[in-house]
Amino acid sequence: MSRTSHAKRPTLSGDRGQGRFAYFVRRALLNIRQNVLVNVLTIGTIALALLIVSLFLLVFVNLESTADEWSGKIQVTAYFDKEPDSTELSALMNRVKAIEGTDKVVFVGKLDAMKRFRARLKGQESLLEGVPADVLPSSLEISLKRKSREDGAIEAYVTRLKKVPGISEVQYGDEWVKRFNAFMNFLRFVGALLAAFLLLAVLFIVSNTIKLTIYARKEELELMELVGATRLFIKAPFLIEGVIQGAAGALLALLVLVGAYFGFLHSATNFVNLSVSVAGLSFLPPVYVAGIIAGGIMLGFLGSITSLRKFINSQS
Amino acid sequence: MIEFHNVSMSYQRDMAALNDVTLKVPKGDFVFVTGPSGAGKSTLLRLIYGALIPNKGQVVVDGQNITRLTRSQIPYLRRSIGVVFQDFKLLPNRTVLENVAITLEVLGWGRRDIGKKVYHMLKQIGLEHKINATPLRLSGGEQQRVALARALVNEPKILLADEPTGNLDDENKEQILSIFREANIRGTTVVVATHDRRVIDGSHKRVIRLENGCIVEDSDVSN
Repeated sequence: MSRTSHAKRPTLSGDRGQGRFAYFVRRALLNIRQNVLVNVLTIGTIALALLIVSLFLLVFVNLESTADEWSGKIQVTAYFDKEPDSTELSALMNRVKAIEGTDKVVFVGKLDAMKRFRARLKGQESLLEGVPADVLPSSLEISLKRKSREDGAIEAYVTRLKKVPGISEVQYGDEWVKRFNAFMNFLRFVGALLAAFLLLAVLFIVSNTIKLTIYARKEELELMELVGATRLFIKAPFLIEGVIQGAAGALLALLVLVGAYFGFLHSATNFVNLSVSVAGLSFLPPVYVAGIIAGGIMLGFLGSITSLRKFINSQS
Repeated sequence: MIEFHNVSMSYQRDMAALNDVTLKVPKGDFVFVTGPSGAGKSTLLRLIYGALIPNKGQVVVDGQNITRLTRSQIPYLRRSIGVVFQDFKLLPNRTVLENVAITLEVLGWGRRDIGKKVYHMLKQIGLEHKINATPLRLSGGEQQRVALARALVNEPKILLADEPTGNLDDENKEQILSIFREANIRGTTVVVATHDRRVIDGSHKRVIRLENGCIVEDSDVSN
């Protein structure tokens, strides 16, 4: 045992460039390998928690898209007191288009209106015998932009529309719009409430599971403190381990979700039966997938940091 | 190297583990701290490596006053102190190499250097053939030697040992003590807490005897 200077860090060629971070990552991977069971438990818990959240998101995203499609059907109809000629019509349509919130404007002439009415009375057209072809008023059918479909916004839009000269009456099914918007707001509120509870439960479960992994290595943490490890040195591998666990859990959850989606959800008939254009559920958009992975990583990191803080503060 | 100035330490009120202790251990000294169970031997060692802060008095180790160190400074003090714990504190799921290497990893040594240094250390204590074994496969004496290797591998200025020969047979005891002597010859200040009279007798080393937290005997005439 030759005595050299204390605590001096030799730097042989093989060590250059390795860096502390590489050491921490290596340590974290080694820890995972040496504590397979506890890590499997943690990753499984994170995966299960995120799977529940993902399934909830999948249902919610599909409900939102159905509702969005539904709300696209909200239409405002403006009736004229007399049929405008082509110059008047063009000026009128431009004025309507200039109103904020207008998406599309379609002119329905008196004859077109009668054609549509006749089509709706299919099989009972005899009822219209003797009725003049120009009895129905001509109108503008206006689709609104998303923001103007809300309850208050649609009323404001209609008030502005009524001020356009030549328009005698405006209809938009206000009762139906109100009920629909109330339903959507209820849906969002319940969704947010459920998501908040779910998130709290997930945080609680994950942080407790990670605490288990840290308690399983209590001796190691204690020993590291005793041989002169700084707090950062002790914590870093655990935090990296938490991040790896979180990412692995998120990927596992997504894998199961993809399996379930392509297995049966994809081909299932629309579960709320509101949409006729969508067959089965659509998968989560990429931004949600990225969010789930980021959420997993955050869960692992936060779970580790809170558990470590509690543990290390209780030492010495 | 180690100075205690009127140090008192109690875990509970009216139960002093150390009571007004004053002592000096010069650099390169070899000291046995002895006394019955509960005399304060372990407390004295724990105060030296900063696991405890005294209720009263000052503890100065290697020129640093422990009572004035912040929590973030304690690790740096500990790096110059090797400790052999009574219960060894070996990590059961790590190999002998990994158990000894932990001291050097904390110092930021690179992998290659650690491998060389640990092998060299284990060879000196005759355990190089067990480098990849886990502690559970080792005998008590071997485990003690691994704990000693971990404490000595970074060539600390101070070596502390708490009942290092507790459950060992005579042959193993002598082996452990000879490693202590060797480290001391190379300049390490050694403090060994033991209640084993046979270890102390004939050692010709300084003996401090504690009883009820007080020094009742110190064989060092200069103190």
